[in-house]
Amino acid sequence: MAQPDAPALVHRLRQRHRNPNADHKHPVNKAHYDDAPLGARIADKLAAGMGSWPFIIIQSGLLLIWVAINFYGLFIKRWDPYPFILLNLLLSLQATYAGPIVLLAGNRQSQKDRITLEHAADEADKGEEHITRILIEIKKNTDLTLQILRELEAEPA
Amino acid sequence: MISAPKEGQVSHESVSGEGPTDAEITTARARVAAKHKHPVNQLFHDEATLGERVADKASAGIGSWWFLGIQSALIVVWVFVNTVEFFTHKWDLYPFILLNLMFSIQAAFTGPVLLLSGNRQAQKDRLRLEHTAEVSETAEKATLQILEEIERNTEATLKVLEHLKKRRDSKSPTGAST
Repeated sequence: MAQPDAPALVHRLRQRHRNPNADHKHPVNKAHYDDAPLGARIADKLAAGMGSWPFIIIQSGLLLIWVAINFYGLFIKRWDPYPFILLNLLLSLQATYAGPIVLLAGNRQSQKDRITLEHAADEADKGEEHITRILIEIKKNTDLTLQILRELEAEPA
Repeated sequence: MISAPKEGQVSHESVSGEGPTDAEITTARARVAAKHKHPVNQLFHDEATLGERVADKASAGIGSWWFLGIQSALIVVWVFVNTVEFFTHKWDLYPFILLNLMFSIQAAFTGPVLLLSGNRQAQKDRLRLEHTAEVSETAEKATLQILEEIERNTEATLKVLEHLKKRRDSKSPTGAST
């Protein structure tokens, strides 16, 4: 029986895994990524931007600079002295937007899950049709074999 | 694209009809740390970049009972020390403005880590579907091959039957049917 050539398969998958702009093979991936409307694309970009190491590292850097300047009074006049109430406000603002963006990304994912299941149902129908055809064919074959048996039994010894 | 199947590669573990044994579960746990069997897991976990590994560790760390427990304990200690008379060194009196800042900082990092982990999961979902597409293509081809082969078999059987009938008719000239 034909089996997928494992190394070649893994190679193709690796190419697509590491290249976010690669063309997709699975219809659900095609619909979800390649045919995404503008709003969905922006949602994906937002989630990718905020959920990335550069974002976390830059945010950490800004936090440290803010606290350092306003705690030790380095270089310029302190605008938000201890206990950093303005910083608190900004961080709360960030969290206020992070929540909806997380939900946006989650909604995208659950939408994909929905299409995936619909596609799986279609595939299951197709598979069932194939199996039914195979079964009918085997039954036909068995009937013929039985006829042969009867012929042989009826033959004068 | 499709080469001859290598029989030696087929693992015997999945063949047994019963549920996984203890030994198999241990193997599965060890695989998490070592090498995975499924190509999607191999590409996603075994070949993860440093950033991806750290992201997985970070979301595993924040989303654990240890994190929740330690955070809760720290909050209780903070509030306790800054309210109870007994402690002389207080750094954040009621209404705990610095603690509020700490919460904001935690939330400011939890959000991006949550998205990071969500992105990882979406990446895996994408990879998994691509793998499914590859595998189901092969499976469909195999199914159609089976069907074709059975049809060939039926034709052959039919020919055998016809041959038998012809032979019987030639043996008995009366030509009685079954």
